[in-house]
Amino acid sequence: MDLSVIFKNAPFMLGGLILSFQLAAITIIAGLILGIVLASARLSSKSVFYYPATIYIHFFRGLPLILVIFWLYFLAPVILGTSVNEFTAAALAFVVFEAAYFAEIVRSGIQAVPFGQVMAAHSTGLSPLQTARFVVIPQALRNMVPALVTQSVVVFQDTSLGYVIGLREFLRRVNLTDAREARSVELYLFAGLVYFSICSLGSRASRRLEKRRFEAD
Amino acid sequence: MIVIEHVSLWYGKDFKALDDVSETISAGQTVIICGASGSGKSSLLRCINGLERFQEGKVMVDGLSVQHPRTNIQKLRSRIGMVFQHFELYPHMTALENITLAPIRVARKTKADAGRQAEALLDRVGILDQAHKYPGELSGGQQQRVAIARALAMEPKIMLFDEPTSALDPEMIKEVLDVMVDLAEAGMTMIVVTHEMGFAKKVADEIIFMDNGTIVEKGAVHAFFKNPQTERAQQFLGRILI
Repeated sequence: MDLSVIFKNAPFMLGGLILSFQLAAITIIAGLILGIVLASARLSSKSVFYYPATIYIHFFRGLPLILVIFWLYFLAPVILGTSVNEFTAAALAFVVFEAAYFAEIVRSGIQAVPFGQVMAAHSTGLSPLQTARFVVIPQALRNMVPALVTQSVVVFQDTSLGYVIGLREFLRRVNLTDAREARSVELYLFAGLVYFSICSLGSRASRRLEKRRFEAD
Repeated sequence: MIVIEHVSLWYGKDFKALDDVSETISAGQTVIICGASGSGKSSLLRCINGLERFQEGKVMVDGLSVQHPRTNIQKLRSRIGMVFQHFELYPHMTALENITLAPIRVARKTKADAGRQAEALLDRVGILDQAHKYPGELSGGQQQRVAIARALAMEPKIMLFDEPTSALDPEMIKEVLDVMVDLAEAGMTMIVVTHEMGFAKKVADEIIFMDNGTIVEKGAVHAFFKNPQTERAQQFLGRILI
């Protein structure tokens, strides 16, 4: 074991980690926003909203992420008319893919709020908007936060798939370092340790939120 | 005060939940609705405050047509309190917050005013000491009393009760019924879907018996119990009065 290889290449690899974080952050924020839109459409009684959203969600949940990344990488320039860099292509792919998963989390969180709650709120004269704001959304959020945190952890892990289109995120940089240094054991153990620490922090947060939700009930 | 005229309600295309129902309820009356499950009792109740949209007929409350596009349904609803079988308290709010939500947001009361009023209501239903507890920390009977206080907080002229004691353990039914008896005696207009026949005998001015989405029989309580006119009512009473 020669750990100096890690220290020596730390700035290079950490640069990749920052890129991974950026990709995950963009995916989580934009994916969640798109997910909320899709979930609202799926909960709509109007078929012009319901069917497109439902088809979208089923479609992307039925595909492997790696395929969607390839698609976007090769399709985005055709659709947009300009070439896109690896980061933009990866971010687009992640957002459209993960939105389908976020949508299902949001939808089930809202659906878990019993309809009686809505009736009770309406019966006291609250408007539909007030009912959503004060009665449904607070409960729905509490329902979905643990799952959202778990999904965010998954998104972070998935950013490593960016390497297939040459995105120099964390794992890709570890990989490049190894090509130069030929220290596979140390480097990949280090990579594992980094992913594991970050993800277990996320899982711990999710567990704590779950517990808090349980106690509040 | 409440006029129901030829109301028919379908769920989907095939199931007719209410079939040409007409009824008039005047201010200060307590009316009991009974009947087997699926007979349309709860649906009828929900038509009165517009929680259910019926396809035919008309419901007038205080001279306002419930389904008329120009009726401010939120304003109308705030004058009609409703209590549900499963309480439907908001689990993320304390008893006090459950009660003050609508007065603050709909009636635009100050937090302090709404709080004082909520405390007075909790005192009235006998659980002022539970004001800062969450619904999950209260017994079923206490939860239902909070729900009644919540409905009263908008100072309604009419109270609708949808099987308010059906989900309660037997020993908690009385504490809820006592509150309802007080309300009826104070002159509140009440429509109560219930099978609590002792309660009906005590406070009801009229009883309505429903079957298959229609009002089969209605009249004074004692006459209904002693001498039901229809065969369906006789069968029904035979089953519930043991």
